[in-house]
Order: sequence, then C-alpha cells, then structure tokens
Amino acid sequence: MNKLGKQTIKFDAPPTISQTASIVGPKEAQGPMAKYFDQCLDDEFWGEKTWEKAESKIIKETTNMVIAKSGIASNEIDFCFAGDLLNQCISSSFGLREINIPFFGVFGACSTFVESMSLGSVFIESGAAKNVICATSSHFCSAEKQFRFPLELGNQRPPTSQWTVTGSGAVILSASGQGPYITHITPGKIVDMGIKDANNMRCCYGACSF
Amino acid sequence: MDNPLDTQEKYSKYVDKKSPNSPILKNCFNAFWVGGLICSIGQIIANFCKYQGMEQQSANTVVSIILIGLAAFLTGLNIFNKIGKFAGAGSLIPITGFANSIVSPAIEYKSEGYVMGVGGKMFTVAGPVLVFGISASVIIGIIATFFVGG
Repeated sequence: MNKLGKQTIKFDAPPTISQTASIVGPKEAQGPMAKYFDQCLDDEFWGEKTWEKAESKIIKETTNMVIAKSGIASNEIDFCFAGDLLNQCISSSFGLREINIPFFGVFGACSTFVESMSLGSVFIESGAAKNVICATSSHFCSAEKQFRFPLELGNQRPPTSQWTVTGSGAVILSASGQGPYITHITPGKIVDMGIKDANNMRCCYGACSF
Repeated sequence: MDNPLDTQEKYSKYVDKKSPNSPILKNCFNAFWVGGLICSIGQIIANFCKYQGMEQQSANTVVSIILIGLAAFLTGLNIFNKIGKFAGAGSLIPITGFANSIVSPAIEYKSEGYVMGVGGKMFTVAGPVLVFGISASVIIGIIATFFVGG
C-alpha cells in the first residue's frame, strides 16, 4: 500500500468485493436497474411504524442478506463500516445493533458507501482484517423529513430537486477472492462553491468530484 | 478554457445557466385558476350563508372554518400535497395553504409522540408566518392607535 500523487492510495494486494446485496423501495423498483436489486419493497414502511424504523430494517435485512449470500460465518467478519443520512447515523446504529461485529459509523452523505469501502479496503490491505462488511442506507421519506419539508406539505419542488434513494446496499470485502478488486482509492477534498439551495444537491457535490 | 470552478461567483453563474428553470408561465396559469377557484368556492359559501340570513362577518367566519377544515381533511388524505404540487401559490396563498402547513408537520411528526412530536413540531413550517404576522400586526396596531387615531 503506497500513496500515489497527491491523494491516491494504491493497493499491493487489492481487496476483493466478494459479495453484494441490495434492497430498494417501490420507486427504485420502477427504474431500469430493478433487475439488479436483490429485493424490491412494495411498501415504504415495510410494516414498521416510522420512516426511521423502516430504514433501520432495510439496512439490517440487507446486511443479513449479504452475510447469508457470502457463506462467510459472521464471526469471521472482522469489522463493519456503515452509515446513513440521519442524525447520529441512527438507521445503521439501530439497524445493526444485533449484528455483533465491531462497528465504525461513517458519514459522508452521498459518498458514505464509497467512503466505507475505502476505509474497509485499507483495513484489509493493512492485514488488520480478513473480511469487512460495508453498508449504507437512505430513505426518501426520512431524508425529506429531516432536511426539507413534511411530505404532506403542498409545495412545489423545483426541477433541480433530486430524489433520495429509499434503499440500502451492502458489500463484503475480503483479502482474497475472484474480484472485482479495489486497486486504488482517491478520496476527494471538501470544496464549497457557495451553493445554498437544499433542492440542488447535485451542484453542491458536483464541484467536489474534480 | 474558462473554468467555472475558479471562483464561487463563476460557479454560481455556471449552475444558473445549466439548471433547468421552473416553468413559470405554466405555474402562474395553474396558480391563477386554482387560486381563483378556491376563492370562488369561498364566495359561494359566503353568499349562501348570507342568503340563509347570516350577517357578513359571521358568513366570513363560516367560510374560513369550512376552507380550513377541508384543507386539513384533504391533507390527511394525502390529496392536498398533489393539489399543491400542481397549483403552487394558488393553493398556498389562500387560507387552505396555512391549514396545510400546520397539519402536514403534525402528521409527519406524530411518530415522535403527541407532546414533543405533534405539539412541538406542529408549527415548524407556519411558525415564521405566525411570529412575523403577529409582530407586524402589533406594530401596525400601535402606529394606527397613535397616528391614525384608531
């Protein structure tokens, strides 16, 4: 593992993405990627009483699914990196409280998933872990409630407003395997271009991609 | 080449140029006729009340009660937000929008309990309107009393 250029890390023995799982909400299930998701929900509450509990259930079931699919015993998974959009990362901390794997809470908003995979691969490359689980969730309704307006409010959203995904994705990274491999990581810097519109997140993030 | 990421002003201009604008003409048209329709319904109720022998002031109160009740009811049925999305200010500016702005957080925060959820968060949207509306009316009341001879 060594640093290339200004902010890239190159791995000598690239970690493998050995298993993936995803669960998404009803709107995501209508999109062109529906066939690639493991499970599509019909109900945004998934039988729970609140959006937050529903999101917790989604990330819990997604991580359970990725562990079951991988065939790796959960006591052989050394660390868990997970996060979400809500205050104190409550979806992942409540959702994963029964998983019984040492836990790192990660927050990077849209980049949380890639951030958790970057950190996980450094752990594997360094020899500190053989298998790590990386997971992220978000829920349209819980995000709107926390960051914008109540869903029942009769306001108009501008054409630049985006849809926060209802769903969760999880991967298991392993020290050895068939690939795909994580060969390099390049974390971005915080760039504030002064965009103040909460309905135009893409333009806020756009500048950070360079 | 001109790089929009050089300064915040350049990026702001670049974003404004690239972002699609709201369809203002369409929005105005929909707001105009839906808002007009809501006000017409109010006028029909008022005329009906007066026809039944009510005084003007009582008739106005009945109009407010019915329109607020209707907007709150439609918010609960998840219909008002669809009207609002279509009509924008047309359904927001009349008293119906105010009812919706109080009922919608009440529904949304019910999951956090009746006291701190519904009670505490009910005015998150309408709160500023109340604070500045009441403040403005107090100031204007004082001015009217001393200078206009209220």
